Amino acid sequence: MILLTNIFIIIMLISNIMMFLSIILSKKSFMDREKCSPFECGFDPKSSARIPFSLHFFLITVIFLIFDVEIALIFPIIPLYKLVNFIFWTKISFFFILILLIGLYHEWNQNMLNWTN
Amino acid sequence: MFMNDIYMIFLGLLILIIGILVGVAYLTLLERKVLGYIQIRKGPNKVGFMGILQPFSDAIKLFTKEQTYPNFSNYLSYYFSPILSFILSLMIWLLIPYYFNMISFNLGILFFLCCTSLGVYTVMVAGWSSNSNYALLGGLRAVAQTISYEVSLALILMSSIIMIMDFNLMMFFVYQNYVWFIILMFPLSLCWMSSSLAETNRTPFDFAEGESELVSGFNIEYSSGGFALIFLAEYSSILFMSLLFILMYMGGFSLSIIFYLKLVFIFFLFIWVRGTLPRYRYDKLMYLAWKSYLPISLNFLLFFLGFKILLL
Amino acid sequence: MSLAKIFSVSSRVRATGASSLVARHAQYSTEGKVEKVYPPNIPGYKYVNAEDPNMSMKEMSNRAAQTLFWTELARGFAVTLAHIFKEPATINYPFEKGPLSPRFRGEHALRRYPSGEERCIACKLCEAICPAQAITIEAEERKDGSRRTTRYDIDMTKCIYCGFCQEACPVDAIVEGPNFEFSTETHEELLYNKEKLLSNGDKWESEIATNIRADHLYR
Repeated sequence: MILLTNIFIIIMLISNIMMFLSIILSKKSFMDREKCSPFECGFDPKSSARIPFSLHFFLITVIFLIFDVEIALIFPIIPLYKLVNFIFWTKISFFFILILLIGLYHEWNQNMLNWTN
Repeated sequence: MFMNDIYMIFLGLLILIIGILVGVAYLTLLERKVLGYIQIRKGPNKVGFMGILQPFSDAIKLFTKEQTYPNFSNYLSYYFSPILSFILSLMIWLLIPYYFNMISFNLGILFFLCCTSLGVYTVMVAGWSSNSNYALLGGLRAVAQTISYEVSLALILMSSIIMIMDFNLMMFFVYQNYVWFIILMFPLSLCWMSSSLAETNRTPFDFAEGESELVSGFNIEYSSGGFALIFLAEYSSILFMSLLFILMYMGGFSLSIIFYLKLVFIFFLFIWVRGTLPRYRYDKLMYLAWKSYLPISLNFLLFFLGFKILLL
Repeated sequence: MSLAKIFSVSSRVRATGASSLVARHAQYSTEGKVEKVYPPNIPGYKYVNAEDPNMSMKEMSNRAAQTLFWTELARGFAVTLAHIFKEPATINYPFEKGPLSPRFRGEHALRRYPSGEERCIACKLCEAICPAQAITIEAEERKDGSRRTTRYDIDMTKCIYCGFCQEACPVDAIVEGPNFEFSTETHEELLYNKEKLLSNGDKWESEIATNIRADHLYR
């Protein structure tokens, strides 16, 4: 763990140095109002960039959250097979994946996965 | 003796990082060359001998370009998200299964999943903090796409893990000694291939940076170092995805030259796909993730669980 | 199916009978089902929409097999793979150049007569016709009584290279030569004056004369 932390620190240093170098090395660096404005097709941006966005993206993240938690719950079956009774392990993992599958079909059935209404 | 090992590990790390960076540089050259020849033109062929030095001149160009400070951007997050994405993609590379001078992760696959899921945040923050409509839309699309495909990616990975019953990537070598998993799980490997295309925002699914409608997507406000780091992070994650494909489905020991040839072939496949297929449609992309790959990977997971139980 | 299917009328449309045929095709059958109204076999009409897939067993299994074995995908990949091995169409530009038409409209030049006298008579037709108003001419009588320009400026950054000046010129004085490599580092260098244009004319005279000779039949 200490080794990993050290490696992380080294990698962090390397990437920060790269970014910092590029700031130092940057040839041109005069400021300009137009240059610093957000990219549009040659005019000032009409609306704020922090616009309220489509709800679909949020719904997708909610569904993702459920599935990600379930995936996080699936992963322990790998080390568990050495630790618990094999019959129990088989049954539990089968039922778990089945429940996941049925949950997916249920969401499908409830039109949660539809991108357009 | 212990300190000696530590030094060797850091040396190995340094070599690995340099190797990744140079590898990524030459992959961009390969991509430009192959795309060029697919479009009946030569790629870069002037710098150095036959364009051999092109990536380095590109790097010098990128790093000496002007750094921008967009108005109303959240500058700290704007500045640090490329760094973070670069850190993450380099951290993933620690997983490369070497037997010496490198960390041998017992829970390597979990580490991989952690790093890839963290990669979403950098894209999201980069898109949000640069205060541009295009960047925000690109970031949103990238996030929705990446997390959708992450689910099926994790489940496909789970099928492979169930085959080897371990989280250590090295076990893939052991279990594929006699037969490659691509023969056992061909449909899943194709699912993995296209999911990794989507996960790394590659061409049929490059909605995060659809040039035609979002100009450049989430990285539009980035220039010089920031853009270079995002670029490096993307390509090194593509490279790692192709490495993982080789590991999971095409076996082979990591120190043989064949392994690397296979790796280059898979990367060539990525470029080939880019040269062939036009962009998908966004709703179809979502349907593909949620209504095709997810049920398929879950069903296959069930199947391979039973298969493994028979074998155990 | 809806009747609002778009039919494209071909040029050979025969007015007689066509409308009655459409009406007949649009009729409902006696069972109350909508009869298939397309593709109508009307001479002179061409059906352009996607047609219904053929539902015979053979066609269906063919389609299923194509989906299953990705024949289309494989063909696409094969095409791109084949293109990799084709001879690239790249021209090694600064060292080799592509062919230019005699009508190519490049950098402007003012020509002279073989005697060395400049052709331009300051009629200002080019200035008048220039759609971008890039040309500025000032004229004065010379000592020998002939009408000549004292100033002939072309703003090359305004010029749209339409070639109207060349066509308007009654004496073939202003021409657009075959040179297209005249990029500069500053804007000022692209504001051509009379000396620059005349020297261009001297420099490119042989090419310009060849081009005009090659194209004179069509002018």
